[in-house]
Amino acid sequence: MLDTTIILQILWTSLATSSYYVLFAVAFALVLKVTRLFNFAQAAIMTVAFYTAFVAVQWLHWPAWAAFIAMMSTTLAASYGLERIGFEALRKRGVSVMFVFVFTFMVSEFVAYLAMLIFGTWPQTIFPGIFWPVTLVGNIAISAWDLPAIGVTVASLGALLAFTRFTRIGQFMVGVADNPDLAELYGINKRQIFLVVMLIAGAFVGLGMFLYGMRAQVLPQTGLSLMIFAVAATIIGGIGNIAGAAIAAIILGVIQNASILVISSEWQGFLLYIFLFLAIVFFPNGLRLPQRRSRFGTATRERAAEQGRSAAESKA
Amino acid sequence: MEYLYGIVIIVGLYVVLATSFNLIIGYGGLVSIAHPVFFALGAYASALLSRDVGIPVLLAMIAGMLVAVVASIAMALPSLRVSGDYLLIASIGFQLGVLEVIKNLRFTGGPGGFTNIPPFLIRDFGRESYVVLVLAVTLAVILLVRWIARSDYGRAMSAMRDDELAFASVGRDAMWMKIAIFGLGSGLAGLAGALYAHYFRFIAPEQFEILQSAAILTMVVVGGLRTTWGPVVGALLLQALPQALTFLQLPPSVLGPIQGLLFTGLVLVFMFFRPQGLVAAEDVWRGASSRVRKTGEAT
Repeated sequence: MLDTTIILQILWTSLATSSYYVLFAVAFALVLKVTRLFNFAQAAIMTVAFYTAFVAVQWLHWPAWAAFIAMMSTTLAASYGLERIGFEALRKRGVSVMFVFVFTFMVSEFVAYLAMLIFGTWPQTIFPGIFWPVTLVGNIAISAWDLPAIGVTVASLGALLAFTRFTRIGQFMVGVADNPDLAELYGINKRQIFLVVMLIAGAFVGLGMFLYGMRAQVLPQTGLSLMIFAVAATIIGGIGNIAGAAIAAIILGVIQNASILVISSEWQGFLLYIFLFLAIVFFPNGLRLPQRRSRFGTATRERAAEQGRSAAESKA
Repeated sequence: MEYLYGIVIIVGLYVVLATSFNLIIGYGGLVSIAHPVFFALGAYASALLSRDVGIPVLLAMIAGMLVAVVASIAMALPSLRVSGDYLLIASIGFQLGVLEVIKNLRFTGGPGGFTNIPPFLIRDFGRESYVVLVLAVTLAVILLVRWIARSDYGRAMSAMRDDELAFASVGRDAMWMKIAIFGLGSGLAGLAGALYAHYFRFIAPEQFEILQSAAILTMVVVGGLRTTWGPVVGALLLQALPQALTFLQLPPSVLGPIQGLLFTGLVLVFMFFRPQGLVAAEDVWRGASSRVRKTGEAT
């Protein structure tokens, strides 16, 4: 029998579990917006992040904070390597978008098979248990994982927003996302911006995977399934619209979790593919990068262009 | 001898898969990773229709191929309506999603697999007859793809792949050409699946996992995209390597990942160091920007 408490409980749990989906979707959408790459190698970064934390906690018995630092270090190193060795080399060769697409997919599969070889094909978690102490607020059960996860996600999004608005590199990112060639003409170092974007995305993915691995079991192929979610959210949110991707991730997360009310649990995973299909059929607007005309966007672009111009002048 | 026949049939079917995938990715310029799932659809449809519905095996095989054609068109139509990029995204979802469905349905046998598939030809004419059938189909598929590639339609395909805008500006419909290529290539994969099912008589979802996508892509990329014999060489080589690995007598939990690493690693190495593959071909991966730059340098 459905009552308000059950519905509120599902909504709360869905909202909490959406935290890592939001981080994955924002990372994917950010890379796509700025570099115009469908980066499926994000799944490889997820795998690297999770298994680093797993090894640190389960094999080396490091404390959680040390495991987190180790995980972030390897994730950022992997993102750096992917950009410098992979994407940069491919950009220099002037290969097609499809080539990069296949490259990223093969990288993610390669890392998944490597993880399978080293860690086996059975599910793992970062900590021995995935059940967190629960506090009842009203009649809603709130686990010790929920609030920190939501808090960290909100703080990360806030930091990203502040970075793009108030820092020089962040404003250059907006400029490169709008028109990379024009940004370069104004003296913005495109190469540096692409690297910064990959590192930010890597940090988001690392954070998201740490949260995910604290409360769910992970297989070497889990990254690809999580990517499907991020891709669907990015398409539904509108390609080029990072906030849209984040909101879509929350909505999809809530729908997927709430679906337990109407479908059996073994079909819940299948919903991901339905989301993806519906996104492509009914929400394909993401194909074109929408030209936003908001006051903030225009002002930011103008500021970025102005700073780029002054940087070029000072170089000259 | 049975073991040898099994290998010949597997190699022949992978040549069909690689050649039909070459039609899609090489000649058509369409990137999809869902080829194994059309192989699976052909196998499951043919097996189900012949065992549970009682349709004659030959008709069931043809139906299996048609199921793969229809499914591929249903998948490609909405994504190609938007762009080629979306075909790859949709194909990833389709590959994972269909296998998820097969695993969860009772009448497909679930994750345990589908057994007691009726054999074809073997009882009446022996295993040799099936080997001859598979080799004949393999040769027919190679010649069919070669004929298409060298025909007027093949030249139109090249034009569409190299410059879709120019192709559309002369009044040709690129989307329907893409659908036709995708449907035909996937249908051939479905036929390979049907042939597989009625020889080995057991199919399970794990035989069509994403490892197979990597394997087929490796065969085409390593062998040589847009060449007649490249995928054949790739399929022979990439089937020989896993067979050699089996002699190491590694446990399946190690053998599977090693095969996966081999396939994906080879694709990555060839993408960077020999994009034209083993059978010489021009660098088909070059994008428009590099062509423009080349033209600019020439002038």
